[in-house]
Amino acid sequence: MKGFLRFVAAWRLALRIVALNFRAALEYRGELLVNICLGIAWQTSVIVFVTVLLGRFNGVGHWPARVVMLIAGVRTLSHGLYAIAFDRHFQLSTLVQEGRFDAFLFRPMPVYRQVQLASFPMNAIGDLCVGVAMFWLAIARADMSWSLGRVGYLCAAVIGCTLMEAAILNVFSSFQLQAPSASNWGIWLEELIGIFGIYPLSILPGIARIGFTYVLPLAFTAYLPAAVVAGRTSGLGVPAIVATCAPLVGLLTFLASRLIWNWRLSRYTGVNG
Amino acid sequence: MLRAWCRTASITTLGEILSPARITAGAIRLGMQVLLAACLWRALYVTKAVSGGVTREQAVTYAVIAVLMMRIRTANRFYARDSITQHVQYGTIVYWYLRPLSAQRYYLLREVGDQLYGCCWAAVGYGLGLATGIISYPSSAEAAEAFAVSMLLGQSVLYYIALLTDQVCFWTVKNASTREIIVFARNLLSGGFAAIWFFPHWFQDLSAFLPFEYTMGVPISFYIGKSPPGSLPMATLPAFLWIGVLAVVTRLVWIRAGERVVSQGG
Repeated sequence: MKGFLRFVAAWRLALRIVALNFRAALEYRGELLVNICLGIAWQTSVIVFVTVLLGRFNGVGHWPARVVMLIAGVRTLSHGLYAIAFDRHFQLSTLVQEGRFDAFLFRPMPVYRQVQLASFPMNAIGDLCVGVAMFWLAIARADMSWSLGRVGYLCAAVIGCTLMEAAILNVFSSFQLQAPSASNWGIWLEELIGIFGIYPLSILPGIARIGFTYVLPLAFTAYLPAAVVAGRTSGLGVPAIVATCAPLVGLLTFLASRLIWNWRLSRYTGVNG
Repeated sequence: MLRAWCRTASITTLGEILSPARITAGAIRLGMQVLLAACLWRALYVTKAVSGGVTREQAVTYAVIAVLMMRIRTANRFYARDSITQHVQYGTIVYWYLRPLSAQRYYLLREVGDQLYGCCWAAVGYGLGLATGIISYPSSAEAAEAFAVSMLLGQSVLYYIALLTDQVCFWTVKNASTREIIVFARNLLSGGFAAIWFFPHWFQDLSAFLPFEYTMGVPISFYIGKSPPGSLPMATLPAFLWIGVLAVVTRLVWIRAGERVVSQGG
């Protein structure tokens, strides 16, 4: 009971900080609006791809348009959720370089959580809005029966994909604790997941497919779980059982990434060594 | 004088060389984007030989060159704390007006240096693309000339758009989001994500009224042979007009911006 109350109190505090960040952002309404538009604009590139290219070519490789749309839908929605909950890595190098990160070490709150609460990325609202729209569009055109099990798996898939994206960026952001210039890797990775995440990875050469499945697990950020939902479990480059367990893989990878982040934090020495 | 200008223009390049992490990330990033562009367009054409009036090889060449051209303008002075937005925020913008080199000239030199640095990346990517057969050669020597001329004009247009976006900081302090939106609009409306002829007619009409198409879609259309080289004068006339208009506007904004600059403390 005591642990539960502590958990609730921690969440209440986190939500209060988020609300304060939001109120602060509302003081600069022009910037707020531009930021939201920015999130919408970047995710709109997915909608452009889906509506313009899939409309003209009816699919990618041997994947029909409706399945590619489902991959894109799962990907954009999970990215919107990721942006709301975790996307603060871009500021870590600045926090370290300016010495503000050092203050986090002395406060009575987990450091990782403080990084996540240091600001609220307003563009995430735009990301999430487009994600919901794209997901709805994909579901509407999926042309499949929606049993309770399939709906439940789809929800788990979206959460698993969110956690997998967070896990990948957790690991790479942890390098910024020792080398702030590693922030470029985070930006690159986010872009990489964004551009590769919405396509069936089977269009890539074999070596790239293996790399994006077992080394940098982009395949788990939408491709594999969406393929399972669509009933295409063969020719994915992994056994069907692994593809089916994609949401669980996302959760486990996230937990492992947090351990890595904390390990890197324990080696943090500040910018002056 | 020329030596000092060259040294100013090479600041970004030298800064990048000192950061192997950024160089490596940039190289991998570009390689991945090229790989995806080539694989994606090959996969899209798997059931069609021709679409939008271009063949699979032309479409792949277009997509890969578009990726390389987008790389030209990715150098970022933010890491060196030398972007206009940072100087305005920190109050150090005043030093731009105290040097023997004018603010306009300094910005021009840095920007040209950044674009040349980006061009080096694009040139290396282009060479590798040709060597591996991902990119086809220009459809003719005239097409290559038309590509070079129109690309130069396009880069000039992009320079002025970037300048205007940076000048906004003198009034708004921040411009990061505006800049990102313009980058997105540029990539979309210039045909960077997908060639303009794949879009609906209303989108093509809208694009023709804006300067972005002349920065990427027009030059690459010459390269792949979609547009005949003979149409170069008519195709690039709007780019000339945009350069003239933007040059006048940015000049006036420099004057107004200079009047707003005060040293810290007023």
